[in-house]
Amino acid sequence: MRDSKRKDSFSISRRSFLKSFSTSAAVAATAQVEAVAQELEKANREKIVGPGSVPIALNVNGKPLKLEVEPRVTLLEALRNHSNLTGSKEVCDRGTCGACTVLFDDKPVYSCSVLAIEAQGKAITTIEGLAQNGKLSPVQQAFIDQDALMCGYCTPGFVMSVTALLKQNPHPTADQVRHACCGNLCRCGTYPRVMQAALKAAGVSTTSKTEVISYAKLA
Amino acid sequence: MPSWPENRVHIGSHAKRIDAPAKVTGAAKYSSDVQPDGWLYGMILRSKWAKAKITKINLDKASKVPGIKAAILDREGERTVRYYGEELAAVAGTSKQACLDALRSIDVEAKELPFVVHEDDAKDESSARVWDDHPNLSKPRVREQGEVDKAFSECATVVEGFFTTPVQLHHPLETHGNTISWTDEGLTAWSSTQGIGSVQDGLANNLKLQQNRVRVISEFMGGGFGAKFGPGVEGSLAARLSQAAKAPVKLMLTRFDEALAVGNRPSSFQKIKLGATSDGKLHAFELESYGTAGIGSGGSSEGGGGGAEFPAPYIYKVPNIRVKQAGVTINAGSARAFRAPGHPTASFGMESIMDELAAKMSIDPVELRIKNDPSEVRQKEYRLGAERFGWKEKYKKAGSSAGPIKTGVGCAGATWGGGGKGTKAEASINPDGSIEIRCGTQDLGTGSKTVIALIAADILGLKPEQILVRVGDTRYPPSGGSGGSTTTASVAPAIYDLCTKALDELQKQSGMENARGENWAAACKKLGVNPLTVSGQWQEGLSSSGAGGVQFAEVDVDTETGFVKVKKITCVQDGGLIVSKLTCESQVNGGILMGIGYALYEERVMDKTSGVVLNPNFETYKLVGLSDIPEIDIVLLDMPERGVIGIGEPVTIPTAAAVANAVANALGVRVGGLPITPARVLEVLGKTKTTSEDSKEKV
Amino acid sequence: MKAFQYVTATSPASARELAGGDGRFLAGGMDLLSEMKEYITQPKTLVNIKSLPGLNQIESSPSTWSIGANVTIAEIEDHPELKKVFPGLQQAAAEVGSRQIRNLGTVGGNLAQHSRCWYYRHRDVLCLKKGGDMCYARHGDNRYHSLFTGNTCISPVVSNLAVALGALGANVIVQKAEKPQSMTIAELYAEAWHNPEAHNSLEPGDLILKVELPVRQQRSAYLQMSQKSDFDWALVSCAAAAKVDGNKLSQARIVLGVVSNVPYQVEAANKFLEGKELDDATIAKAADLLLEKAHVQPFNGYKIPIARTLIRRVLLQLKA
Repeated sequence: MRDSKRKDSFSISRRSFLKSFSTSAAVAATAQVEAVAQELEKANREKIVGPGSVPIALNVNGKPLKLEVEPRVTLLEALRNHSNLTGSKEVCDRGTCGACTVLFDDKPVYSCSVLAIEAQGKAITTIEGLAQNGKLSPVQQAFIDQDALMCGYCTPGFVMSVTALLKQNPHPTADQVRHACCGNLCRCGTYPRVMQAALKAAGVSTTSKTEVISYAKLA
Repeated sequence: MPSWPENRVHIGSHAKRIDAPAKVTGAAKYSSDVQPDGWLYGMILRSKWAKAKITKINLDKASKVPGIKAAILDREGERTVRYYGEELAAVAGTSKQACLDALRSIDVEAKELPFVVHEDDAKDESSARVWDDHPNLSKPRVREQGEVDKAFSECATVVEGFFTTPVQLHHPLETHGNTISWTDEGLTAWSSTQGIGSVQDGLANNLKLQQNRVRVISEFMGGGFGAKFGPGVEGSLAARLSQAAKAPVKLMLTRFDEALAVGNRPSSFQKIKLGATSDGKLHAFELESYGTAGIGSGGSSEGGGGGAEFPAPYIYKVPNIRVKQAGVTINAGSARAFRAPGHPTASFGMESIMDELAAKMSIDPVELRIKNDPSEVRQKEYRLGAERFGWKEKYKKAGSSAGPIKTGVGCAGATWGGGGKGTKAEASINPDGSIEIRCGTQDLGTGSKTVIALIAADILGLKPEQILVRVGDTRYPPSGGSGGSTTTASVAPAIYDLCTKALDELQKQSGMENARGENWAAACKKLGVNPLTVSGQWQEGLSSSGAGGVQFAEVDVDTETGFVKVKKITCVQDGGLIVSKLTCESQVNGGILMGIGYALYEERVMDKTSGVVLNPNFETYKLVGLSDIPEIDIVLLDMPERGVIGIGEPVTIPTAAAVANAVANALGVRVGGLPITPARVLEVLGKTKTTSEDSKEKV
Repeated sequence: MKAFQYVTATSPASARELAGGDGRFLAGGMDLLSEMKEYITQPKTLVNIKSLPGLNQIESSPSTWSIGANVTIAEIEDHPELKKVFPGLQQAAAEVGSRQIRNLGTVGGNLAQHSRCWYYRHRDVLCLKKGGDMCYARHGDNRYHSLFTGNTCISPVVSNLAVALGALGANVIVQKAEKPQSMTIAELYAEAWHNPEAHNSLEPGDLILKVELPVRQQRSAYLQMSQKSDFDWALVSCAAAAKVDGNKLSQARIVLGVVSNVPYQVEAANKFLEGKELDDATIAKAADLLLEKAHVQPFNGYKIPIARTLIRRVLLQLKA
């Protein structure tokens, strides 16, 4: 699947540049050297990459993920097409449904709407990173217990959104759950149970109004 | 005659969905997730024109884009495309980006032709014909019974109304598509499908392959709602790309594509007249309707499936009727069966006119239905539901609530077939006591895997966790497509038979009289080295058809903004024998919420100037969100003597009708068109001045 | 998306230079990337402006609050002090998209975002705004479109923040070629009133640096109304800010959103409320003045009663 060329990049660190001068010369020419050093630093930081593939280093679920991707590749595409982290789903690719939700340093974002190149330097958590040593997180367990899923395609996104919410606010009201999860859509209709699961994971038990009544006993 | 065990422990329990852990961890692999070695990305080029003669498609530049391994035409030679989005060509490459670049380099020579995309325009004789050989508006199919004109004159009260429903899109969250590997050995398709058999059939046929060389797998799939039967154009293209590129190809549609070319629910424009005698009994009914199923409406259709026809007068038996239904062809994607085809449309029109009649005759809407609904079961459901819902307290004269936020209630009924038969299944029981059940059915999120585990657990005296369930592979015994709400009724009896036979065999082979439950391990040990394999199949007596129900809705309407909020839905539904209670309830929730979408938000919008779909996304094709849901109260009627009946579709049928009736009750005036948008509410309240383009009226 | 080069700018001047004639600035990307995915815009270079120093701070002094262009909408939503001083802005921020969008979307991006008209956003419709011959909305489905426009294009401004900031009398500091320039919200969008191809008054290379809000003795409020309960573009929005003394408002500004190519204000309506008792009659008259020049399209007439309702409710919320 990968078919890319390495592009070597020109890079000198400021330190090594300064080290190349002798001490006395450096003292005398510091002001000028500083200015030039700043220019070089700027050139390093303002390095133009692409349009062909560039090496990127992502931190996903606490592990490094090194890839070579074009700048136009989104984080979602990097996860699904350039690695085997297919838990985050592509449903709309336009930031309108939440199925691709991952966490950037505990904040939920649409991975379809972030360039992979810009996801560097963030601690990225995907659905695959929630369970610890095979033990499901409380949110995951709550989703199972409340049957907050059906086909399951929206589920990773919802689990990430609820996880993020509870990290920020361990005891949300129902309204706060709605506000936090309004960016996640479901077509099967799991919403009532997603709400129950979110509250359950926050320690609030709810009952749904369902009853099985014997038809034979009806008047 | 077999019968379900009296003592049911797991059947009917709240046991959890067995594939839930895989889904909440991201471990579940859908067709869109499968990554066979060396897999390529596939993509389709679609027509930009609503109608055009395509004279040439040049793939030369596309083939040369770096990373592209195959580029093919959908078909050779000149052709006429008839809707925006029709498939023209496809490419496969080492990255999505290569495919995007390749598609944009394909030159298409096309001569644009006149088109029509709105039903009311297409009805006109002078409109551009979608198909040269027949007019867009079909001759209506007419059905008559009794003497309807005389009967109307005999009625004490007659009401008339005009009701419309939009084209609705399935929009399963996982798009249509396949990952296909076609080698000399044969073809394997990981397919997002409701019918692995239909995909196998279709691919074998389209690609001239022997069926025993085609394997279709659907272990997890992200929703179908009726749109995912057969390989589709995209499946055949993926297969041909795989063959050409000599590598597996993953070709999933985009959300944009889903709005154009893979099915929809036909629209309806219904003129209805209903009359009753002074005792409130329905006496005369007349319906004239048309609707579009896209390019596929030509000629009269049988209705059901994808056609624009629907049952009328729906669940009611009226002695004198005249029904005239026509289809109108437009340049848009063809309809496909969509969750209870025809029924939500039928229910909306019929139940709306029923409430008009109730209001005019000053009869309670529930009473009017109990009086006229021929189903004794539904009559009881209305009574039970009304009491549970608080109908007597909540039902007030239309438009009478004080203040700008008006509250109202409504109800509607539904009927559906369901039932199901024909499934086969097999099991391997190992000497260490482990068991695997294999069945070529599908689980769309409906819970069929769980159904299998619960039945096996009860028959064999085991825990559901001990049952390894495998579905969704054409190598397993066949079941049939998951449509029509037939899966559980078809699968459950087969599993019952399978496990009953398995127990018998195990007891015979082990020499133990009772191998159930705590004796299971010991009995299995006696198998020695080889597993025991058993087959089973669907049996009569454990399932039946007929799955009806009723729903009540309570709404608040803000008459100053037109905002509609559904506050509560009470549903009383035929349950038959409920196997998996948890997943069954989820289906009810799902059907109701989809019905609310139909009532308030969903419609495919076509642009008459350009011929495109204007809302091919989730931004302006609006799905119900978490904050839009009402309180949902579900009563499942336990009818174990009926066996398993089915539930997926009936529960979405009456919701929009009940909501529309509630809105009419709240406002005192009716919105006759779905979706009930703020614009439509404000218009019927007389708060909007409609104006022509040239008018500079002050408002 | 078409392939592009990517670079991170370290100063507004170099950002402008790096973007050149065919580059675009990339902040949160919530708007730009979706436009690029439809090939509506195909920049050669994307210039990341998120590392520009000092643009991601919220700073306050007794007279002025300064919100950097790179401050995310979530940061505005969550800021406890801002909520007290400028409640209308916080309410507007809380309604932008979803939490996922607010975590990446920035103030600058929200103000600069492009039209959401479904003809403009359609990959296969060459509408007037994209350089084509015709405003398709005028001849087609215009249910979401403008009541007020100075030109042929009827695509409305949808930025929530623009509406709230307009009511709060904010100034937007924009880095132009020569130097930073302060613009009112009205000035920021004025070009869109006359020019069908403009989304706002920003010229290529212009960079929003920050938004400055004067601290006045004023209350503020923002309301919007959508078809769905949330995560749905507003059909109409309304913000107001004013000094409140009992039942009287002074120095009021009422702004309507999603009804015009600009955040829509009418000076006569603002002035009319000065020192008047806020009752049904004065509110109705203010709404009359605000809506006087409305020109209804075939499918958007319903926006009038919604606008009237939101105007009333926002003003009453100020008073409460």
